[in-house]
Amino acid sequence: MSTTNPFYLLPLFAAAWFVHSARRIEGPGARSFKVFVLFGALTVGTRTALVLLGPVNRGSVLAAMLEGLRVAVMLAVFGTFSSVTDSWRILRLTPRRFHEPALAAALALSIAPRTIVAAARVREAQRMRGIEPRRWRALPALAVPVLATGMEEAGTLAESMDARGHGRGRRSSYRTEPWGPAAWATATTAALAAAVFLLVARALGGGLTPSTFPFVWPEASPWLVLAALSFSLPGALRPETRP
Amino acid sequence: MSHAVVFDGVSFTYPGAPDPALSEVSFGLEEGSFVLVTGPTGAGKSTLIRAMNGLVPHFSGGSLTGSVTVAGRRTLDLPPRKLADIVGFVPQDPGAAFVVDRVEDELAYGMENLGVPAATMRRRAEEVMDLLAIESLRNRSVRALSGGERQRVAIAAALTTAPRLLLLDEPTSQLDPQGAEDVLAALQRLVHDLGLTVVVAEHRLERVAGFVDLALGCSPGGKVVLGSPAETLGRVGTGPPVTRLGRMLGWSPAPLTVREARRMVAGTNLGAPVAGDSRGDASDAPGEGPAAQVEGHLSSPASRRSHRQSPPQPPTPPGPRLRPAAAPAVPEGSPSQARVPLVRAQSLVAAHGDREVLSGLDVGLCPGEIVALVGRNGSGKTTLLRCLSGLHPPARGTVETAAGGRPAPGLDVALCPQDPDMMLFCETVREEIEATLAAKGLRGGAGALAGPLGLRDLLESHPRDLSAGERLLVAAAAVVASGAPVLLLDEPTRGLDVESKGRLGAFLRSLAATGHGVMFASHDVELVAEVATRVLMLAGGELLADGHPAEVMADSPVFSPQMARVFGAPWMTPEQVAMAVRGR
Repeated sequence: MSTTNPFYLLPLFAAAWFVHSARRIEGPGARSFKVFVLFGALTVGTRTALVLLGPVNRGSVLAAMLEGLRVAVMLAVFGTFSSVTDSWRILRLTPRRFHEPALAAALALSIAPRTIVAAARVREAQRMRGIEPRRWRALPALAVPVLATGMEEAGTLAESMDARGHGRGRRSSYRTEPWGPAAWATATTAALAAAVFLLVARALGGGLTPSTFPFVWPEASPWLVLAALSFSLPGALRPETRP
Repeated sequence: MSHAVVFDGVSFTYPGAPDPALSEVSFGLEEGSFVLVTGPTGAGKSTLIRAMNGLVPHFSGGSLTGSVTVAGRRTLDLPPRKLADIVGFVPQDPGAAFVVDRVEDELAYGMENLGVPAATMRRRAEEVMDLLAIESLRNRSVRALSGGERQRVAIAAALTTAPRLLLLDEPTSQLDPQGAEDVLAALQRLVHDLGLTVVVAEHRLERVAGFVDLALGCSPGGKVVLGSPAETLGRVGTGPPVTRLGRMLGWSPAPLTVREARRMVAGTNLGAPVAGDSRGDASDAPGEGPAAQVEGHLSSPASRRSHRQSPPQPPTPPGPRLRPAAAPAVPEGSPSQARVPLVRAQSLVAAHGDREVLSGLDVGLCPGEIVALVGRNGSGKTTLLRCLSGLHPPARGTVETAAGGRPAPGLDVALCPQDPDMMLFCETVREEIEATLAAKGLRGGAGALAGPLGLRDLLESHPRDLSAGERLLVAAAAVVASGAPVLLLDEPTRGLDVESKGRLGAFLRSLAATGHGVMFASHDVELVAEVATRVLMLAGGELLADGHPAEVMADSPVFSPQMARVFGAPWMTPEQVAMAVRGR
């Protein structure tokens, strides 16, 4: 179920921002929130600009902005996730039978911070040639090495995993981390908030997709706003120290 | 004895390639061998190694005929993962090959895939961490390790599965000389004690020649020969400096290690000629040998060394007679004092977060100088280069150009990246160089820069089709095209064969000759001996020594080049010694 109602989207964004600022961890991933929010802003801008190319009225522009906002909030949530979690630690918290998908997810999540690091190195290298990274014309000079190296590294990783026996079927575990109170609390809050959101929206409506044509001021259910805000609770939890 | 690896009439061609990478290759490696794979870049060393665990052809594609058998299993029938219990593999770029995050988990990854019981995993992880001295890294993230640490962890991760065969593609390229020695010695112990078979591709022959007992020589066209290291290096026409010296002077057989060279040379002072037919008893058998040629032309360096503080030498036979007039001149003092440095650091303190990496350095780089930065992994070499290039702001102290003010990257100082792929983005080498020139508002002129690097024939090639060595040269040309008077390079010889290193050295000299200042960080003592006009030795962020290579390196048990080990200071390169011996 998705919503374009700004009264739900903005509290969700606030929750993401709060969790990010309260629980951000050290490392290259810490910057991914900023990067994803930036991408989100770009999405809103691009989505709106596309509408301006066609016949314009208040409804179509608003609809485009709200759709853009929905994507932007999803990106922000993703950015928060990668800035506050150590996906490798999640891998250790994952039960053995879900190891394969969890490993795939952890590797996928590590792409963002790795790309940020690679992009910084490429920028430095090109500055040495007088190629000013802020210019639009410098885009290929920045993007090509990042993408090409990324592809090459992905190939090396796939080879390395196969050469080290990935996918043989039988697996043992070096160590798994038990779930502590914070892990349980986070999972429970998220599940409860999602459930409230789904149930209340189904039972009472609540204007998940406000009408923009004709334009009506969107209504908001206080229950749903509360549910959206409750996603910020994990930000107030005390993290567990690593074993 | 049974064979660990058997190649039987193996030919292999990469998809779309006109010529085979391996052509009718047949050999067998007995269990418990320590094997070197040698040959110029692009001759098929990596292909040969990867054919031993099935990555070729299962991952590479292409067509393979004949058969490769590893511990009785045919690689054509089995994917690499089905060989993972008997073959360990350490690729060239270990950073990209790490799967999980923490060092300890990375060591366990292969064992988990094989279903090794938890108790066994714990024990093996501890043993291997001790063997490679990485216990202190156990909780670190693999992505935060230095290049040298990564190589150790990658080797450790390949050893925990207790393979029968270990394949390593340039395992010491990022290790300092002592670190490389330690890792190779650890591998040799496994070869001797457990009968592990180790196959290692390595360009720095001076590091491995003394450890291996067999060598596979690859040559362009896909031919591969197996023989003793001496035979194979002779056939491929390469070798460490002592071997090259031996060949230049017509010693037969040419020595492989410093020890052998010393023995051969020692014969001189005993007055006994040295055998020319068998290396093993070179020191005590009569016959024609190098001694006969060295005699009379070289005066003992011991007398010249006596006025200098030098640490006690290992039980070296008195050196050969070096004719004093022929000895290379060692300039007095540091040449930088007379001129204005292009870039200068004063009382430079630099930090990463809270950790101080450089503590109060005074360093200058003058026009015409080629300065080598040497020191252990983590001694602060890269940070110093980044400070001098203006990328890393000093915590205290100053970094200034001749005109005063912080150096501007790409204007006053150009730093060539360690990995050229971080920079190359064009379709051809010409465009790559012209991209820099265009950023400066210039047109054309790529040919003039490509000339001294030997890249003229490659101007229209795609940079990513070139060898690692050639790509580095393209990156160096692209950076130098910025017109910055200072060129800095961080570990430029990673993955470079002897020939590419020669080209790089010639390029650096031509830059210095045109008034550039060049500084490079390197673990490659032979390159340093070859091209550096001055050496800075760093340790723990402090400047330990600053002077002519012959002064700084010759007495060091770790950083001295092979010639200094055989003949004493100030002999640095085989060319110097050969000229002194020949040129009467």
